Amino acid sequence: MKVTYNWLKELTGITASPEEVAQKLTSAGMEVEEIIYQNKHLHDVVVGKIIKIEKHPQADRLLVCQVDIGKEIVQIITSATNIFEGALVPVSLPGADLVNGVKIQKSKMRGVESVGMFCSGEELGIDENYIEGAGVYGILILPKSAKVGRLVEEELLLNDVIFDIGITPNRADCMSVIGIAREICALYGTQLKKINLNYDIDVYAKDSVRDYVNVEVKTKNCYRYMAAAITDIKIEKSPLWLRARLNAVGIKPINTLVDITNYVLIELGQPLHAFDQSFINGKQIIVRQANKSESIEVLNHNTYNLDENIMVIADSEKPMVIAGVIGGTNSCINNNTKVCILESAVFDLKSIRITSRRLGVRTDSSARYEKGVNVANSEIGIARALHLVSKLKCGKVVRGIIDIASVKNESKKVVGSIEKINEILGVEIPTEDMIRILNSLGIETKIQGKQLICIVPPFREDIENNNDLAEEIIRLYGYDIYEKINYKLFKNAANTEGTYHPRLYLERKFRYSLVEKGFYENISYSLVDSNMSAKLLLNDERKNLVRIANPISEDLSCLRSSLAHSLLTNVSYNLSVGNKDLKLFECGKIFYKNKDMNKELPIEQDMMGIVVYGENFDFFNLKGVVENLLIKTSCVYRLERSKEKFLHPGISADIFINDIKIGSFGKIHPLVLQNYNISGDVYYAELNTAILASLPEKKYIVNSISKYPIVERDLAVVVNEDVKVGDMIDSIKSACGKLFYEVKLFDIYRNSTIGENKKSLAFNIKLSDLTKTLTEEDIGLVIKKVLKSLNYKFGAVLR
Amino acid sequence: MIKEDLLKLSNDSKKELEGVYDIKQLNELKIKIFGKTGLLTTFSKAMRDVPVDEKPVIGAIINEIRKELEDKISEKEKYFKEKELNDKLEKEKVDITEPSKNNELGAIHPIASVTDKLIDICVSLGFSVVEGPEVETDYYNFEAMNIPKNHPSRDMQDTFFITENTLLRSQTSAVQAREMEKRKPPFKIICPGKTYRNESDSTHSPIFHQLEGLVVDEKISMADLKTMLTIIMKRLYGDETIIRFRPSFFPFTEPSIEVDVSCPNCHGKGCSICKGIGMLELLGAGIVNPKVLEISGIDSKKYSGFAFGFGLDRTAMILNSINNIKYLYKNDIRFLKQMQ
Repeated sequence: MKVTYNWLKELTGITASPEEVAQKLTSAGMEVEEIIYQNKHLHDVVVGKIIKIEKHPQADRLLVCQVDIGKEIVQIITSATNIFEGALVPVSLPGADLVNGVKIQKSKMRGVESVGMFCSGEELGIDENYIEGAGVYGILILPKSAKVGRLVEEELLLNDVIFDIGITPNRADCMSVIGIAREICALYGTQLKKINLNYDIDVYAKDSVRDYVNVEVKTKNCYRYMAAAITDIKIEKSPLWLRARLNAVGIKPINTLVDITNYVLIELGQPLHAFDQSFINGKQIIVRQANKSESIEVLNHNTYNLDENIMVIADSEKPMVIAGVIGGTNSCINNNTKVCILESAVFDLKSIRITSRRLGVRTDSSARYEKGVNVANSEIGIARALHLVSKLKCGKVVRGIIDIASVKNESKKVVGSIEKINEILGVEIPTEDMIRILNSLGIETKIQGKQLICIVPPFREDIENNNDLAEEIIRLYGYDIYEKINYKLFKNAANTEGTYHPRLYLERKFRYSLVEKGFYENISYSLVDSNMSAKLLLNDERKNLVRIANPISEDLSCLRSSLAHSLLTNVSYNLSVGNKDLKLFECGKIFYKNKDMNKELPIEQDMMGIVVYGENFDFFNLKGVVENLLIKTSCVYRLERSKEKFLHPGISADIFINDIKIGSFGKIHPLVLQNYNISGDVYYAELNTAILASLPEKKYIVNSISKYPIVERDLAVVVNEDVKVGDMIDSIKSACGKLFYEVKLFDIYRNSTIGENKKSLAFNIKLSDLTKTLTEEDIGLVIKKVLKSLNYKFGAVLR
Repeated sequence: MIKEDLLKLSNDSKKELEGVYDIKQLNELKIKIFGKTGLLTTFSKAMRDVPVDEKPVIGAIINEIRKELEDKISEKEKYFKEKELNDKLEKEKVDITEPSKNNELGAIHPIASVTDKLIDICVSLGFSVVEGPEVETDYYNFEAMNIPKNHPSRDMQDTFFITENTLLRSQTSAVQAREMEKRKPPFKIICPGKTYRNESDSTHSPIFHQLEGLVVDEKISMADLKTMLTIIMKRLYGDETIIRFRPSFFPFTEPSIEVDVSCPNCHGKGCSICKGIGMLELLGAGIVNPKVLEISGIDSKKYSGFAFGFGLDRTAMILNSINNIKYLYKNDIRFLKQMQ
């Protein structure tokens, strides 16, 4: 919201500098986001009078002008053609730094000295709407009233300071100059100037407002509708001071009547609408919901189809205005308007908000209505507009104002507790300061015992309870009170025990363990392109992606259903920038549609994904990575050939705890790699960390260790290719019985001498006994048993 | 006669010992003196022929010489062994500037790292870590936070919707109501996690991380909030850190404040990180709006609370001097490596 310093100064009577006022407003919660100095590029630009024009001796197109700038006569060379002797023009003198970046210096043009430059409207940052002649191609010719030698910024009222203030949604009342002025008065202890609401009526005239219009309200979304009539309209340019104010806050001046409605909107936050009465069919204004067959062309020159969710201001046959949002072209003020109907209304904020969103039309009017205009405001707004009509003599105000109100908005009583307010703030604010602050904000406050009796004006609907009062008090008392005091932590509150989140805790163990092994943690966007399922060849429930209804773009339109997508994308990206040997992991949620239609929310799963790209890494390295994580949990798991389509069917496994799948790992399917533009092998693992974290914590039961040394034997056997090593290891374990300590496969050998479809496996077996040193005889017996078992079960032959 | 011979043997041997230059020669000399046919052994054997009365004297001399030579030899032996070892060690010398081996080390992502740090700080201060879904209902994300449908305060957050009633949470505050329904005061919780907003530019990412804190107990005040946040910020940014409050507005807190934290880089003097201001606008906070407590079934007459929330992405950027928000989600190894 833009307001000007001079406007605020006029209403508040303050003398403080713009910078100080801005700082104070910010510290009170009205954040001044920008201070704009209107005259930033107007220094050294003065009103000059051209007293003599001669041709340049060396150049046909140039003119040499003698210009009176008050204290002296200067010579200026120009190529402009619209100047004449006696013309008053803006002159930029050496030192000027114009808005278009031009810097003025004394110079010579074809041997003749030129001390400055004449300015066009554009070079001063203004247009034809602001002042006549500002839009022409050429020099701005100033009105005859301009005073020679005066700064142009003063002459054209371009010397205000504009504050752009961020208004928080709870302060609808501050969407106006008066609202911010009220805050300033509270901050500086000054008195808000009374807004002049008086206007003249011809007491001898016979007509009254009902001779021009009747109003009927047929919707509950209109809380109050006021209408006045103005006759003898003169459509003219507004006076400069009015244009200056509107221009400063970014509103285009049009004509006096329209400018008045905009002025009141900015000053008091009351949107107004002016109709040309001659276009109101049957002199009848009907406020109603639209119906489906209707449409309207509005002032932005778009035509909108309406329906019953949209409120309109209609006459007996057509909608004329989309209520609270934008006026139609069929009934607006134009150069021939003679009689005007002025509307000052209050609408339901939700209704306006919905309409504004639906149509995608945001106006100064809708911006205020959707934050809430209070019902009392409409009568102040209309009176203020009529006052300006009288004052600027742009029409005659007809007797009477139509006022149809369904909602009353009166001051309300809020009882505050001094003790509770201090308890909320945790500091003692003197009671007299509380009362002073609240009163300064227009909240009439009296003390009654330990209570504050507050009469809250209608424009502060946001104030309801002790917390609201506490906020008003502290923001004006100053939050810097907290800087001076050192407090004990929770002097009144109980101790609580801090606890970690089980899953985050487990993930942390996993993450730091992986980092030690050279893995980098990734965090990727969980929003992905809808082609993710196809790229990953997903064919299970995870192919049903959750889609965003209002995505930023197609590539961020769905939620990921697998971390593999994120990590493969990251591998692909890293390869593209020349990074090699990639070991990455990510913890994050995956999402897919819930089959259970009764569930509102989709499935969310917490997963950890691990990916490796690089040489000297294979499936069994990956298996080791996975095992080293799982061993940190209490899980007892088994592996099965993986059914995941994005993994190599022969080089992948699914991990199960009982019948619940908790993850998969393996080599990425070559077709998937193609989809991600990766050449070379990629290994991937994923674990459901939520399930793992839900298991009981791992318990350690330490076995006795023997005081006798371990003995070891190596054993190489030949078996058929299809024999599973895992099964052989199990068999070795059980054959060793209680002497078993450890078994390791240390070599696999394939060679034609061994035979087709055969492999030689070399095991290192470690034995240990708690009670004695094992003898050769003991060891021989065990190894014999192992061999026998391997031979019996797997046809293994000693090599 | 024998005496002189012995003395000569002793002197000759000593002389010879001095000339010995390696362990091999020493061993040869040892044998020459003490071996079966060694010089001294020969004397010992010759003791038989020594008259009985001279035997003790000669015997003593032999023993003395033997002792003396043995000591000298073992001394020499020790010297040679030490020298041999030292020579060996000298030969094994390496170039210590050669690169190390087996030093694979990855790194924790900066956002995750700061999250871990904050979790540790808050758990030690009595907070419990909780989580909620990222796809959330309109109710928990907005309505239970005192942001009714079609209310202007909805404009503060551009939200991604899934359906009319489900959305990607725009704030971790969504977890507040879920927890308040489950828990009985007093409690302190924090909720770290991903949040989503429909905006993307040079300073905003549509996905970012927040950490939300909530304390509910009897008589919780703004002063408690100030103390708690001061402790957390000091532990995060260092002991010199100070914080300042400014009024603000959030529908779920009343009073609401913005919290400025002194710039950890310049400690308030002003630098490029804080754009010369000396303070960074880092948190939103306030006293929990009693309406929010009531919506979730907590008696606002008996209990009050404070809540705070802040962006972890920004925190990670400040703590690690990361100057480009785009780095955070690209997962470029050249970036992550710097976090080792």
